[in-house]
Amino acid sequence: MNSTPFKGTVFKDACIRFNESFALLAINWTLEPGQVWAIMGTSGSGKSALAAALTGAGEIISGSLDGIVANAGMVSLESQAELIERERLRDDSDITDKVSPGTPVSDMLDEVCKNHELLAKLIPLFRLDGLLDRGFRKLSSGETRKLLFTRALISQPDMLIVDGPFEGLDAQTVPLVNDILRQLAKTTPLLLVINRFDELPDFVTHIALMEKGRLKTTVETCDKPAMDLMSQLLHLKTTQLKIPDACPGDTSPPLNPDNPLVNIRDASVRYTDNLVFEHLDWRIEAGQHWQLTGPNGSGKTSLLNLITGDHPQCYNNDIFVFGYQRGNGESIWDIKQHIGYVSSALHWDYRVSINCKNVIISGFYDSIGLYARATDLQQEIAAKWLRVLGFQERATQAFNQFSYGDQRLLLIARAMVKHPNLLILDEPCFGLDDINRQLVLALIEKICAGSETTVIYVNHHAEDRIEGINNYITL
Amino acid sequence: MANYFNTLPLREQLAQLGKCEFMDPAEFTDGVSYLAGKKLVVIGCGSQGLNQGLNLRDSGLDVSYALREAAIKEQRQSWKNATENGFTVGTPEELIPEADLVLNLTPDKQHSGVVAGVVPLMKKNACLAYSHGFNIVEEGMQVRPDITVIMVAPKCPGTEVREEYKRGFGVPTLIAVHEDNDPHGEGLAIAKAYAAGTGGHKAGVLMSSFIAEVKSDLMGEQTILCGMLQTGSLLCFDKMVEKGIEPGYAAKLVQFGWETITEALKHGGITNMMDRLSNPAKLKAFDLAEELKVIMRPLYNKHMDDIMAGRFSSGMMEDWANDDAKLLAWRKETGETPFEKAQNTNQDIAEQEYFDHGILMVAMVRAGVELAFETMTAAGIKEESAYYESLHETPLIANTIARKKLYEMNATISDTAEYGCYLYNHACLPLLSDFMTRIDTDVIGRGMEVPDNGVDNQQLIEVNATIRSHPVEGIGQTLRGYMSAMKRIN
Repeated sequence: MNSTPFKGTVFKDACIRFNESFALLAINWTLEPGQVWAIMGTSGSGKSALAAALTGAGEIISGSLDGIVANAGMVSLESQAELIERERLRDDSDITDKVSPGTPVSDMLDEVCKNHELLAKLIPLFRLDGLLDRGFRKLSSGETRKLLFTRALISQPDMLIVDGPFEGLDAQTVPLVNDILRQLAKTTPLLLVINRFDELPDFVTHIALMEKGRLKTTVETCDKPAMDLMSQLLHLKTTQLKIPDACPGDTSPPLNPDNPLVNIRDASVRYTDNLVFEHLDWRIEAGQHWQLTGPNGSGKTSLLNLITGDHPQCYNNDIFVFGYQRGNGESIWDIKQHIGYVSSALHWDYRVSINCKNVIISGFYDSIGLYARATDLQQEIAAKWLRVLGFQERATQAFNQFSYGDQRLLLIARAMVKHPNLLILDEPCFGLDDINRQLVLALIEKICAGSETTVIYVNHHAEDRIEGINNYITL
Repeated sequence: MANYFNTLPLREQLAQLGKCEFMDPAEFTDGVSYLAGKKLVVIGCGSQGLNQGLNLRDSGLDVSYALREAAIKEQRQSWKNATENGFTVGTPEELIPEADLVLNLTPDKQHSGVVAGVVPLMKKNACLAYSHGFNIVEEGMQVRPDITVIMVAPKCPGTEVREEYKRGFGVPTLIAVHEDNDPHGEGLAIAKAYAAGTGGHKAGVLMSSFIAEVKSDLMGEQTILCGMLQTGSLLCFDKMVEKGIEPGYAAKLVQFGWETITEALKHGGITNMMDRLSNPAKLKAFDLAEELKVIMRPLYNKHMDDIMAGRFSSGMMEDWANDDAKLLAWRKETGETPFEKAQNTNQDIAEQEYFDHGILMVAMVRAGVELAFETMTAAGIKEESAYYESLHETPLIANTIARKKLYEMNATISDTAEYGCYLYNHACLPLLSDFMTRIDTDVIGRGMEVPDNGVDNQQLIEVNATIRSHPVEGIGQTLRGYMSAMKRIN
């Protein structure tokens, strides 16, 4: 099937309902061929919903929408989550009793490929050559993102919609994707959903700013005064921020101050057909904040999981954490009580039915979901965190009804709630807009400035430096 | 080896069958400490073997894997699973003599061979654990008298056992001690520590017996779980096609219908499943189910009787000895049914439509669950066991049909379940042929066309009362209550 040329889309006073708690309201918006739009706004403002409405999602309650793009290629956190979920369903290990690494990358490309010539070009460009035989579940989050991009491009969509084009990509890949999108914009209609003002590609011609389900304003990027105004609008002052206290009497057992928090010696992570890293030493003293960097697939997440105990090979490495030499009878919960953790993997795994406040409380128990009765004090602290995040009105709303960015904020609060000895933030700003990113960075700075918590921070963005972090390790 | 159950006096048979109690969470306050520092060796590195081992190790226990020398040399998948997860791997000769607890997590059919090979290597006074008791109860495996024999059976697939543990929770788990092999009186302490190591104690543990587990498990899997769903699939599909419904639609309605319908069952029992229908449809489904129960009751009784008498297992073992001739012929036959070969439509079927157009399927689920439950409890099995082996597991099997239809379901469920399913299906198809001649598309495929949804109040009250007062609903509510009380706080 060849793609159909885009003839333009017109929203007229359109109200479009997505679920009981969210609708787009009175949208007036005209997209014309040749324009490259970027939708911006805070998390939960309806950016992704507006993009989805263009493809026919949601129910039009009033007004009209002409020119729905049914055959759109989608790259988004949601489409990534769908793929992960599909793999989970395909996992036959229970019925076959064989443990599988997931569908190979090459199969996942073949199943959607309509342009083999393009595919042949993209594989080396995205450095997928070495990954073609690898199972989906063995990919790092950045590699998964690249796969998703390639799938969308080779399926010959009528329009490519990219929600957060640079999320999860390492510094080397960002300009690459930027160039590909620039080239693509000349031939294929392109719509971007952008979380960060500093990530706005220069080939974008128009910006649509969303707020609370409404299209607040549209700006042409060549209009300099209007653009300045918008960046001001997106700026947030975060000086009033205060981190809620930890729970007295609820603290983890005290650590011997003479010991390092973490001491990893000559560590390696390897699979039968793949060496992730080897000969790695890392000693972390209490109060010493670290930033960890490295390209996609270099093993950052594996390394962090050796510390948290989520990587099974922590048992055959020389790892000392929080006074335990791993593999001597301690349980994973003995380790986790000292750690607060945020990562994409945790975010994908956090799919239980639970309300917003309990997500924060679950941080006291290191659980996904809440299986214990929270104390009054824990409830109080969680309520304070909700106020910091501006969610006080939404305390009982279900977690899965929050936008991705808002979910991420909740998971960050969950990680910080007990003021852990070690706070591990693996790309905490993944999927956050400018305003919330500043909020999170400010929170991390406050945590770093305190004396209780040591921070390990992973980030691809060089400009997201945090005051107080001055140790660096690169894989 | 003789059937163990049959060697017991009636009094003892009844006592063992009637064992199944929900344990107080306070019994698990010692966690895994009874096994701390002990050596655990797992045999079998498939989904259950690997995932249970991961949980036990994360609970602080010392776990390694015994694999056959060839599997290690050739670096087979089982070897990769164990080593990539950082486990120590060795041959049985290397690891078993050191083991305090040996976990046999291989398929049923391999048990005799595995146990015969492993027990002579085990040190004196060690413990052997099963997750299914067929080998002990039906094959009459005699284990050296100094060895403790226990069972710990998580009532969920292996990946779920792992996922729930990582969340900080667990899955419902059944434990038992083989009383003939509890020489030091420590079987229960070991089983409790093992269950705590897999996280099972957080979701609820049932104290049962080898016999109750085996007899109820066999009955459940061959009647309602695999048997009824398979027979129902074939009958419903053929009827729809005969009445002119597009085969692609019929195939999809059946393949995904069981999963959708039983999801309602999982959350709120038969009551909730029936409540998903409109009132006229509910009355219709009720009548159909009542009729089905009368027709099928002798068949359910026969299955239960054959299982109790040991005729089922001896028949199956004859087929094992005959290179699975019957089993393989049947598997081939299943692969060639029109339902299996039909291509699903791309048309979307809404969640509610699976109920509205699948009234007969709802009736079959109700009839099958209630009959299996009634037959088991009448035979002396406790309601708790009967609930887990009928209603609780139906959604799990329905889920395998949704993924892979029947041929794959049969190829991948245990051979024991498949063999039982074969017996059930061959008897049940002819049994229902007359009933099916009276079935039309109003109850399967198209849904009822009624001028309005009105029904008679008295009739509806009676029907609701009958559904809700069935004993499977009472025990179901209690057991689901334990689960959700632990699972969802606030």
